[in-house]
Amino acid sequence: MAFRISVDTGGTFTDVVITDADGGIHIGKALTTYQRAFDGVSTAVEQVASRLGLSVRELLADTSHFAYGTTRSTNAIVEKKTAVTALFTTAGFPDTLLLREGGRLGGAFSPREFEPPYVPRYLTFEIGERIDSDGTVHQELDESTVISAIRECRRHGVEAIGVSLLWSTVNAAHELAVDRMLAEHMPEVPRTLSHRLNPVLREYRRTSSTVIDASLKPLMQSFLAQLSDDLVAAGFTGRLLISTSYGGSWPVGRMADRPIYSVGSGPSMAPIAALHAGRTTLAEERPNVLVCDTGGTTFDVGLISDGTIHFSADTWLGQKWTGHITGTKSVDVRSIGAGGGSIISVDSSGLVRVGPESAGADPGPACYGRGGIRPTVTDAALVLGYFDPIGFIGGTLSLDVDAARAALQPIADRLGTSVEHAARGALVIASQNIVSAVREMTISQGVDPRDLSIIAGGGASGVNIVQIARELGVGTVVLPKTAGALSAAGALNADLISDFTASAFTTTRSFDAEAAAGALASLAEQAQQFVDEIDSLAPVAVHTQLSVDARYPGQVWELETPVTLKDDGSVDLEALEAAFHAHHLRVFQVNDPSQHVECLIWKRRVTAELDKPAQRVAPAATGDPEPVRVRPVLFAFADAPETPVYDGAALGAGSTIHGPAIILEATTTLVVDPGATVVVAPTSDYIITTGSNDSLGAFAAREGALA
Amino acid sequence: MTAVTESVPASASPGKTDPILLAVISNRLDSIVREMENTLLRTGRSGVLNMARDFSCAITTGDNELLSSAEGLPCHIFGAHLMTAAMTELQPDLAEGDAFLHNDPYRGNSHAADHTILIPVFFEGEHLFTTLAKAHQADIGNSEPSTYMPFAKDVYQEGALIFPCVRVQKDYSDVDDIIRMCRARIRVPEQWYGDYLAMVGAARVAEARLKELGERYGRATLKAFIRDWMDYSEDRMAQAIAKLPGGSTVGTGRHDPIPGVLPNGIEITVKLDVDTQERRITVDLRDNIDCIPAGVNESEACTVSNVMAGIFNSLETGIPANSGSFRRIELLLRENCIVGKPRFPHSTSVATTNVGDRLTVTTQKAVADAWAGFGAAEGATGLGPGFSVVSGVDRRTGGEPYVNQVFLGSQGGPAHPDIDGWVTYGLAVAAGLMFRDSIELSELKYPFRVEELRIRTDSEGAGRRRGAPGATVAFGPKWDPMEAAYVTDCVSFPPRGTQGGGSAARNVAFARDTADAEREIVPLGAITLQPGERIGQHSTGGGGYGHPFEREPERVLQDVRLGFVSIERARDVYGVALDGDRPSAALAVDADGTAALRSASR
Repeated sequence: MAFRISVDTGGTFTDVVITDADGGIHIGKALTTYQRAFDGVSTAVEQVASRLGLSVRELLADTSHFAYGTTRSTNAIVEKKTAVTALFTTAGFPDTLLLREGGRLGGAFSPREFEPPYVPRYLTFEIGERIDSDGTVHQELDESTVISAIRECRRHGVEAIGVSLLWSTVNAAHELAVDRMLAEHMPEVPRTLSHRLNPVLREYRRTSSTVIDASLKPLMQSFLAQLSDDLVAAGFTGRLLISTSYGGSWPVGRMADRPIYSVGSGPSMAPIAALHAGRTTLAEERPNVLVCDTGGTTFDVGLISDGTIHFSADTWLGQKWTGHITGTKSVDVRSIGAGGGSIISVDSSGLVRVGPESAGADPGPACYGRGGIRPTVTDAALVLGYFDPIGFIGGTLSLDVDAARAALQPIADRLGTSVEHAARGALVIASQNIVSAVREMTISQGVDPRDLSIIAGGGASGVNIVQIARELGVGTVVLPKTAGALSAAGALNADLISDFTASAFTTTRSFDAEAAAGALASLAEQAQQFVDEIDSLAPVAVHTQLSVDARYPGQVWELETPVTLKDDGSVDLEALEAAFHAHHLRVFQVNDPSQHVECLIWKRRVTAELDKPAQRVAPAATGDPEPVRVRPVLFAFADAPETPVYDGAALGAGSTIHGPAIILEATTTLVVDPGATVVVAPTSDYIITTGSNDSLGAFAAREGALA
Repeated sequence: MTAVTESVPASASPGKTDPILLAVISNRLDSIVREMENTLLRTGRSGVLNMARDFSCAITTGDNELLSSAEGLPCHIFGAHLMTAAMTELQPDLAEGDAFLHNDPYRGNSHAADHTILIPVFFEGEHLFTTLAKAHQADIGNSEPSTYMPFAKDVYQEGALIFPCVRVQKDYSDVDDIIRMCRARIRVPEQWYGDYLAMVGAARVAEARLKELGERYGRATLKAFIRDWMDYSEDRMAQAIAKLPGGSTVGTGRHDPIPGVLPNGIEITVKLDVDTQERRITVDLRDNIDCIPAGVNESEACTVSNVMAGIFNSLETGIPANSGSFRRIELLLRENCIVGKPRFPHSTSVATTNVGDRLTVTTQKAVADAWAGFGAAEGATGLGPGFSVVSGVDRRTGGEPYVNQVFLGSQGGPAHPDIDGWVTYGLAVAAGLMFRDSIELSELKYPFRVEELRIRTDSEGAGRRRGAPGATVAFGPKWDPMEAAYVTDCVSFPPRGTQGGGSAARNVAFARDTADAEREIVPLGAITLQPGERIGQHSTGGGGYGHPFEREPERVLQDVRLGFVSIERARDVYGVALDGDRPSAALAVDADGTAALRSASR
């Protein structure tokens, strides 16, 4: 079959990326349809199909893989449209979801309202039982408390149930007993057991995962079933793959059983696209990459070290520490509240701020002419000459320069300067806000941003990505041809990935080999089950990686440390300790090799590779690139009265453009600062050598000498 | 060729700092402090650090002005410049590669349990900044296994090792003498050394970042920035003060009795004078009692910090907390005063919490009582058994001793004019910034079992905006005796409301015996629990703001659904009638019944 389709259903737009047999890439975009996801998908697919002279049915019938990512579950949570969900928890601890782990952002002097718990207190039921930290039963399960909880669930019309008991990770007997009772008395209500979904220490994290997962089950199970049916009815006979927050794909059934892994699955695909671009365009087998995906309201950042995408178990819905934690391991994509719509303001004492407030898509920036009057980053970029007033977003939107200037005028007046200076300053601050957040994120993970390349996507990324790169000390930026649909493009190259975990607490000083062996056996069994399940999807290769969450005695935050086995199948303790000390030194600048290491959660990651779409090679450029026009542009640290503007579609492989320049793409605009150089790669992606702001004086001198 | 003219808005002019550069550098400094905090949080060895976040980081200027403190604890941050002043005074030979250990409460530290690492940062030979990492220690070698000694008659009885800003690193290497002193005396030497490394790591990270900043912008630009950032901060404070109605007021608050020392409690008097013309606030604390022979005296750093926290709680948000904004606030302190400058050798063992908390809440309530729409009610003060320092031996590790403070409990925060109290507030001086311990993690680390942790219904101070409720917590040892030392407040004098808002329920410290019989225990104490016994606390909440009859009935309904307020209390205290007898999604406000209740009893 000729085609592969990838769809990313966002809150507003549904992006479709389709590859053909020759590796040609086709992009479609349509409004997301909430009633029936397939309608929006079909509209976007049709755009591509008609260009290829096919019907949607013909295209689908000739499609081998259909990768699907959706924000459906994330939106359901944000809009509070999930199922009526109950929590069964250990007696004495009904407020775990309310109290969380304490802490809050924003400092001491920023009072605000406290978020209610994910499950209301009146749907939280205390189950008489108690297991101790070593797994011994302190108090037997009181079945009558389960029965009365079930009765209350009926009375309240509960639609899903999460069961999370203390220490179920060490001894699951009570959760399993409750599960059996629920199966008997309330078989129609979907349920999630904490030790099965996410067997991690810390009751808040595990419980939060459990109830979020349960609350999504009714919705996502019917949603996925309908999508699957609709695709088959439309003639699709290939393999349907659902994107996960792991940055991999799953068969539909697995996602229906664990829908929490669909939360944040869209953004988690952008790093896959970036990894692909790093391997192809940069030709690095194990690239080190900062992935930047900019939209109207947020700047999403991910990290790839040595060819490995970074993961985090600290993902929150809403604000960190005070929202709701998903608690599951997922691709570490962090959102910075800075996008094209970020609003520029000056406070009462004259300090300039950019964001966190955003004009969003509606009314949007002042220059959109949709009623927005407050100045935004997009308005500043327009005033500086970065955008073509006509022909923005492929000609679908014209921009009002006068409106942008008018919106910025009060800022300029407050600062006693020109509109241009104010606009330039606002962009410098916007870039710096991003740079600070990115530095904190990378350095806290032991990664020096100067060792990275940036791979950028999203509609607003081209405006200041060169400036961001320079400030971070990054020398190379790649803007993929599919930058406007990075997540959908990523899913085309996603593998089948699943993590399996087993809890066995021990230390390297007095290693409990039996417990570790038990955990490893459990992992092997779970992994085999997954491999069997995906057999029909025909993976070309299967890899597994073992690791353990480890720490020094007394620490409470663990580092995921690789585990190697000796020939006899036992854990190589020396290698484990050495790996941990080295990892600790890298992340925290200190270590203590005299200490032994505590091991908590054992993990096995299974990656089943699927065969990948063909890769097209772009035709080589014929002659020097010709600008479509020339106009004055004010860059961050230089004015260029005659800046050439190029049409990206007309550039062939090997084309080289020196800044100052502007390159227009259908879904983004690339601002090439003086001192930067752009080359079009054989993959059609742009490779930008950023130069630095420090060398600007030398550059200006050289230009002057040549002129 | 394209002509390019260089245009650098962020120029290094000697005049006023470009507003863009002002924003850029101030953001960068906050970011550096956050990086320090993150380093401490992730590398700290003791639970006080890595579980509770009982630490703070700051950057001061070379001439000892507080520059940035990001998200530090109120009781820690405002005193940073006092500590660096001690460093420059005592250490005239400051050099690159130095680090200093400072915990002397007579020279600018909060209390002896807060070890602080100070690192002078040199750029082009000039001492331009100092970085500070302060962290509450699990143990400091006191005469008893607790870092809180409310009954210590003086510093000798308290018994801590005191380091008056001593050099602990030279040329980036440990001064082993000092390390050995600590290891020889502190009960958990490995844990202490782990935390020490974490603090040094945090302060060194900031040192490296500040040098990068110096290389980027140059010394002259940074000095101009410091001057202008302080002026900006002062202006923000001046504008905030100008919004207050102005005038003078006197607030009084009262800490619970100290048995045998002050049986009627400790009265705190805060005299405030707000001059809206000059846009200044003067706080006079001189009319308070002398230092007492107990561990609850305030250090100067805690006096300053806790009053400032009360002021900042009372004003609009977003004012940078640094020496610039402090210029608008004059503190009148007295030597040998319980809330002033302590006279040696009075003990300040508990300075960060109890009386310190009272200073904060008394200040914000004084503002709230005097001027509607400003200030805040009183929030929880002191800690209590849910936050005990526990110690004993752990048979799982062959009888190794353990000692650490737990943060299992939860106390409620005060209502503000427009916002309900923060639930996981803890106590006034931490204001909800600290983390709570996980039950499972605690049981893994220590040989005790937690029996219960739940919101204490109806413990909130009622009001148009209500205080947050407290919680009930209980825990006890599994196999061997365990000692628990704790310092409760709000037993006799629970947090009060303002502008017609009610008081919260009082704190109750309790013990449960093996037969589950519960008895109240003394508020300040240390008890030894046998296996099967438990210690616990029905904790206090925060005071309310405004009359509870003015609270929107939908908010009261939500409080009932949250389990914060009972249906009876909704009716009796808030005058809200609900149409059912149990919380559910369907439970609704009975509008007519509510109108009747509210008109009848008012």
